[in-house]
Amino acid sequence: MDQPASIETPLKKQRRKLTRMERHNLRVGLLFISPWIVGFLIFSLYPMVMSLYYSFTDFQGILASQQTWYANYAAMFRDERFWNAVKNTIYMVIIAVPLNLIFSLLCAILLNLKVRGQSFYRVIFFLPSIVPAIAATMLWIWILKPDNGLLSTVLSWFGVHSPNWFLDPLWSKPALILMGIWGIGGTIIIYLSGLQDVSQTLLESAELDGANWWNRLKNITIPMVSPITLFNLITGVIFMFQYFSQAYVFARFASVGKAEIVVGRPMDSTLFYSVFLYDKFTNFRYGYASAMAWVLFIVILLCTIALLKASNRFTYYAG
Amino acid sequence: MATYNSYQRPFSVKVRKFFEQFGKHALIWTVGILFFIPFIWMASTSLKTKIDIGRIPPNFLPRENKTVEINGQSFPVFMLTSVDGTSKEVAVQGYEGSDAIVFDPANPSSTMNVPKDTLTEILIVKFHWENYVNAMTRASRPGMDVTFFTYLKNSLIIAFFCIIGTLLSCTPVAYGFARIPFPGRDTLFIFVLATMMLPFQVTMIPLFKLFNETLRWGDTFLPLIVPTFFANAWDIFLLRQFFRTIPSEMSDAARVDGANEWQIFTRIIIPLSIPVISTIAVFTFLWAWNDFTGPLIYLQSHQNYTMALGLQDFQGQREILWNQLMAASVIFTVPIIVAFFFLQKQFIQGIKLTGGKEG
Repeated sequence: MDQPASIETPLKKQRRKLTRMERHNLRVGLLFISPWIVGFLIFSLYPMVMSLYYSFTDFQGILASQQTWYANYAAMFRDERFWNAVKNTIYMVIIAVPLNLIFSLLCAILLNLKVRGQSFYRVIFFLPSIVPAIAATMLWIWILKPDNGLLSTVLSWFGVHSPNWFLDPLWSKPALILMGIWGIGGTIIIYLSGLQDVSQTLLESAELDGANWWNRLKNITIPMVSPITLFNLITGVIFMFQYFSQAYVFARFASVGKAEIVVGRPMDSTLFYSVFLYDKFTNFRYGYASAMAWVLFIVILLCTIALLKASNRFTYYAG
Repeated sequence: MATYNSYQRPFSVKVRKFFEQFGKHALIWTVGILFFIPFIWMASTSLKTKIDIGRIPPNFLPRENKTVEINGQSFPVFMLTSVDGTSKEVAVQGYEGSDAIVFDPANPSSTMNVPKDTLTEILIVKFHWENYVNAMTRASRPGMDVTFFTYLKNSLIIAFFCIIGTLLSCTPVAYGFARIPFPGRDTLFIFVLATMMLPFQVTMIPLFKLFNETLRWGDTFLPLIVPTFFANAWDIFLLRQFFRTIPSEMSDAARVDGANEWQIFTRIIIPLSIPVISTIAVFTFLWAWNDFTGPLIYLQSHQNYTMALGLQDFQGQREILWNQLMAASVIFTVPIIVAFFFLQKQFIQGIKLTGGKEG
């Protein structure tokens, strides 16, 4: 068992031995957490080191690998498809994440109104979010089908012609965003718990002072739920960087009737970062895929740190 | 919105309040219906015939042609509109050019020819429950004894062992981090939290090689199950938070009575933590049941597929069996919805921890 690094520092500083009690606690404590230590070494640390190593080789599965240093990274940054995947992912981060947050907050405000039957309404709003992602995607493909789908029929009542979500690269991502909005129940729940902490007296006194609905929302509710918004924003951004299953199933459907199944259909418009990474992985480009994974990891870390730093300026913590 | 002056009469206030309440309800209902319609559409599609699915525009309820049975033979029934504007139901025996040979169901012996355009379809609502049976028993690969039922079984097996593994491993680890003050504990806990940030793509390829080539576990459930026996950061975190709220006097009293840490853990802490343990069980089930990427990477042969993978069977090269696909989706979704109604508190608590994202 490896010894935790931190216990050496106090040892050196104070030049004292652990007491009998401490030694006993250390033994028992390590025994209790041993499943995690083993799991961390085998399922986190070892693969991390290995994938970092692979990212500097031209490892392709069966073929012997060769050190290539930064060749994978260089190839990646020269690859047009890679930049396309980055562009598509940024599209989702910039458009889908804020839309989800706005709709979640509005729905949470609705569900926080003082009307009868709210516990029933909350269930209705929440249910779609527990539908398995694959089933939900299949269902939405069926709803969005341009010839005889539910949505195109409803649109036709208003004389609107449904776009072809599966052939038109302009409309494929909006289709995925629409699917995502159906499943915002989890985010609504988190907002709802935040809204319940918003001071009612503050809202009421603002109302007596003549502040209208919009002013109360803008000046009281939104600032007071800003920590929740931050949490939802971080989890949303991380989720979008790893967005995979829905896009994968979507592209498979867009391939029906085509000669082969290609990720990213139509026309690479649903080729997101993780989809492209998976594509490289299934084509045995392990070195390339590992390099992509590490870039992803670093970007996620940087984004989270940046959001946390920015939050100091925009979020309000009560107390 | 609700500001009014004291000179307004109570009646007008009442009216105003009424409309305000009404408006709120209407707003919630509208959005709620938008959220709910896809469910109805899923259920409705799952009960339709193949012909009904292809209809443009689609029907909201499953419909099919009305038929009449005469001498053990089934004939479709149409509405015949005569020149004088009267209409009656007739059964269609066959077609002759632009004419249809029809007869009165009450009097099958006498037939007559009428132009096709005088006939209109009669659609009746009929639920085809057999879609569910077909979806479950349809052989996904000819020759192999694999049906959607196989996938259901596989999903259940994997989910069951994932719950066992998660509970067995995360509870002692969380206990160690929460209640044993060993040197270096807090530093190690930072490592636990740090692994939450690690995207699975970073570990995917080395783990794939480890499981497939080193351990030769390719195309088995083991790569999906075994890691859960080695604890995960989210559940450790959740359990640790809970364990810390249990008063330390309880452990101290047991310690005075000669109990060791293991006994305190199993006899005092675990029984007090049933609510949080059930939250974790529910969420592990949800995660294992919905997981798509793991099975996609590790399971190759159809007899090992889970439901998430198996849904793709209904999509052929050229066409999709939408009615059966929706029936299978209902079967896939219903256990979770049922679980939700029984375990709402656990669901909500888990959502608040994980941010409610699945993928």
